[in-house]
Amino acid sequence: MTAKDPSGAAISERINAMVERSIQRSVKGLDFIRASSPVVGQTPKVLLHEQGTLKLYHYLPTEDEIYRVPIVIVMATTNRGYLFDLAPGQSMVQYLMTNGFDVYMIDWDAPGLHERGLDLGTYTQDFIPTCIEHVMQESGEDEVSIMGYCMGGVLSLIYAATHADGPLKNLVCLTTPVDWHEMGLFRQWCDERFFDVDRLVDTVGIIPEEFIAAGFDMLRPAQKLAGRTRVWEQMWNDEYVKSYRAFDRWGNDILPLAGEYYRETTRELMWRNKLLRGNLEVRGRSADLANITVPVMHAIAEHDHIVPYAASKPLLEKVSSEDREELVLKGGHVSLIAGPNAVRRMWPAVNTWLSERSI
Amino acid sequence: MYGGFVMSKDKDPAELFREWVNQWERAVDSFSNQLMGTDEFSRAMNTMQNSQLQFQKVFGELMAQHLANLNMPSRRDVQHLAEVIHDLDTRLSRMEVKLDRLSAASGGASATRPGPKRTRKPPSATSPANKKKD
Repeated sequence: MTAKDPSGAAISERINAMVERSIQRSVKGLDFIRASSPVVGQTPKVLLHEQGTLKLYHYLPTEDEIYRVPIVIVMATTNRGYLFDLAPGQSMVQYLMTNGFDVYMIDWDAPGLHERGLDLGTYTQDFIPTCIEHVMQESGEDEVSIMGYCMGGVLSLIYAATHADGPLKNLVCLTTPVDWHEMGLFRQWCDERFFDVDRLVDTVGIIPEEFIAAGFDMLRPAQKLAGRTRVWEQMWNDEYVKSYRAFDRWGNDILPLAGEYYRETTRELMWRNKLLRGNLEVRGRSADLANITVPVMHAIAEHDHIVPYAASKPLLEKVSSEDREELVLKGGHVSLIAGPNAVRRMWPAVNTWLSERSI
Repeated sequence: MYGGFVMSKDKDPAELFREWVNQWERAVDSFSNQLMGTDEFSRAMNTMQNSQLQFQKVFGELMAQHLANLNMPSRRDVQHLAEVIHDLDTRLSRMEVKLDRLSAASGGASATRPGPKRTRKPPSATSPANKKKD
């Protein structure tokens, strides 16, 4: 029997499989509809510090011997940090911990209206330094590594550039935009000629999550429907459904943004591209990326539709670090962190790179 | 042919269906991106948004006026209270950090929690200082 000349038995087998999957789809489809939201972020952790929208967590170490330098993950401000800890086996946090790292995370809650005045200065000159103080206190170490994802990477870069003599030992950026003029449709929609950011911020104070979510959805309008169709077809496949539900929950868990922070990001980064040009100043301090001299690793997703490759590519050219490494992976903005390629390539690469620099 | 699918001898119908979904998604996204990547779209979207914001502003002002007439706290009043509390929270947080620092400096018990040894070495014996990757 060959694939091109299927025998009667093979055709019968194929039909049986189709019928079986069809039955499974109906049975499991009902469970899918009735099931409650998937449990995420299960790795044990303690809340170390809290300040309004800011939460600093410490994941409780599981190993007897760990690397000297702790890692602080800085999450993107639009989403929840449990992307790094979706489920057992699909958790970068868990992976790093079992490989001997002491892991902390700067995560965010929805900012209240009273926090509408938070700006880039608050995030990079107050929040991150305060968290690092807490981490140093907790760990007893005087150096830390930072791993920033997306906008968390931008905040980490600004922090690193404005604290060149600080306790930062290593910097890992994950799909971090540097050339904001390459931000594709976001750049087009926020074009200074049409977009009145002052009117938006002055009216709403806090940029609603619906506004942020609509922006993400409009980049790939067919993605949700196609995803639902795929999960229906794969309903018999428990692992696929489990993974889909965790990603779906995370993807819909969007956070609103503080107005001033949004205004400053739009004006200084999106319109004036100051991060790339090296003329960004935060609270009077130069945030020129050339100030960064610590080892830097940048993981970029080749098919990232949110932060296109061209937007993140210039990072390593701009820093002054002698020790720098770029990792370009197939996959998208989210799968870079928790997709199959992340598990196979990104996590081990970060582990190897950081372990050599965390002693 | 069944509903647009060609029954192939080589391919599983489910696989054909998946391919069709992928193609459909790519086509819709590509078309939408072209449409939404124009100046006309950006102008129209932002004009609509500005109209909504204008309505929201006027409605908010009217509502604040009604609440004032009813001798009720407005959103701004509640917001002000929240800001006062937030300010206190920030100050407390700063004091906490300073106290921790003082405690650590004086060798207080809370300086460092007992934990695992921080002596782990990487599997490779390569020295990072000698490694330069560009």
